[in-house]
Amino acid sequence: MSHIEYRHLSVTYRRPKTDEAFLAIDRISLAVERGSFVAVVGSSGCGKSTLLLAAAGLVAPASGSVAIGGAPVSGPGTEAAARSAMVFQDASLLPWRTVLGNVRFGLEMRRWSRDDLTERALRYIHMVGLADFADYHPHQLSGGMRQRVNIARALAVEPEVLLMDEPFGALDAQTREVMGNELLRLWERDRKTALFVTHDIDEAIFLADKVVVMGRDPGCIKDVLTVDLPRPRTPDVLDSAAFVALRRRLRESLAEDMAALRLVTEVA
Amino acid sequence: MSLSLDKPERLLRRGAGPGARLRWPFRRSTTISLLSVLVFLALWQMVPALGLMNVRYTSQPSEVATAFVEMLGEAPFYGHAWVSLREFVLGFALALALAVPCGVALGTSRYVRLVVDPPLMALYIAPPLVLLPILTIWLGIDMASKVAVVFLGAFFPVAVNTAAGMREADPRLVRAARSFGAGRLAVFSRVLVPGALPSILMGVRLAVGRGVLSVVVAELFVARAGIGHLLHVYGSALRMDRLLVCALVVSAFGYGLTQVVRRLEERVAIWRADS
Repeated sequence: MSHIEYRHLSVTYRRPKTDEAFLAIDRISLAVERGSFVAVVGSSGCGKSTLLLAAAGLVAPASGSVAIGGAPVSGPGTEAAARSAMVFQDASLLPWRTVLGNVRFGLEMRRWSRDDLTERALRYIHMVGLADFADYHPHQLSGGMRQRVNIARALAVEPEVLLMDEPFGALDAQTREVMGNELLRLWERDRKTALFVTHDIDEAIFLADKVVVMGRDPGCIKDVLTVDLPRPRTPDVLDSAAFVALRRRLRESLAEDMAALRLVTEVA
Repeated sequence: MSLSLDKPERLLRRGAGPGARLRWPFRRSTTISLLSVLVFLALWQMVPALGLMNVRYTSQPSEVATAFVEMLGEAPFYGHAWVSLREFVLGFALALALAVPCGVALGTSRYVRLVVDPPLMALYIAPPLVLLPILTIWLGIDMASKVAVVFLGAFFPVAVNTAAGMREADPRLVRAARSFGAGRLAVFSRVLVPGALPSILMGVRLAVGRGVLSVVVAELFVARAGIGHLLHVYGSALRMDRLLVCALVVSAFGYGLTQVVRRLEERVAIWRADS
């Protein structure tokens, strides 16, 4: 049985001003195998983040369901939702808490026993290479360091499933590459099931076993690519013929949406 | 020691050894502020002495200082100060105790906001002192009416700023907390309240000023005791020196308390350093 299972999942949102409902994702079915790394790509507004939020129980399905390990996710704080942990884009750290405090925060919310919270948090802070910065506040850290904290916070609660919503989206290209490598290194240690949303094609191929391509209006799955590059991967793989071929295919899959996007920006 | 602006650097440079170094203890900005006060005091002392102004209307720093020492030796002065202090503390404490929960309700519930916001804003903008005559009729000329005025003066800034702080909570933080399973209570106590704290304290700081103003003006208006009442008495008797002592005591109190809150704010908001 697959670890994360989307069954005909639809999610609707309400537009803030007019209050009319619109379909963010439309009857998506997707199975993510245990221990696999799946990347989701697509242009903005295709509902790729919604896909993650649904798995964390942060948005409710209009129809269909998401299950983790066979248990349906029916809201945040439910047993199924507690099997996952989410890594957000920048600015999801509590600015008044230190690095240690932020990593502890996840553990506190998940009601880990109080005794070893600090020790456990420090272990994960060490793991992401921030041992010397445990007492720093987020505003004192660079964007890349903040994302390390974000990752440590998620890993510390020892989730079965790691949900990552464009975690490197706000970083510059170099930092992004470093963080991608780092993430891969961490992931390859215990191979947690991972669902990773990005708009960066290279990043998606470099990290994932499978790349899901989403289309928009309404959000749906257009294509699923299997990435059979050998692991452990190093940045050298970016220049390999196999990688280049995959990249070309992905770009073709996305081309249609990109054209639509261009039109939209021109009209606007 | 004579004062001049370039003195600090010169003194520093001339320093012979770490122990013997004669070091001007203030920063340049502090020095300038200090200097302006000293110049003002000097002018104030000299202008009446030269006969350019009537000392009866302006008094002089030396007279004020003498009056201050005298008054420190008089029991009634402490009595009046004690009355004012109690009025202030009671009204202020009451305001804090009610304004913070009110602000929280206002900042978190849309319905409470829709119902309460218009009258609240109206009362916030109107000086609470406009209600003083009514409060005097209702509560008499003693402490109760002053406590009420202080309460009104301090309540609104705290409530309004608390509400704003709660409302401006970052939805991304709330979402992150919820993703880790935080319930309503945990989101409230771990995310919303700490996030609103700087804003609440800003309200408290504004409230200090308004509270001090309220107590003094209310006592000036009609009272039998208190620093404001003393101000009134000395004003009627044309005792400028004593009147100014009262004014200084009030402003020192307000300034001191404001500084205390400001320190707290800085402490709480170290994380805002980047914004």
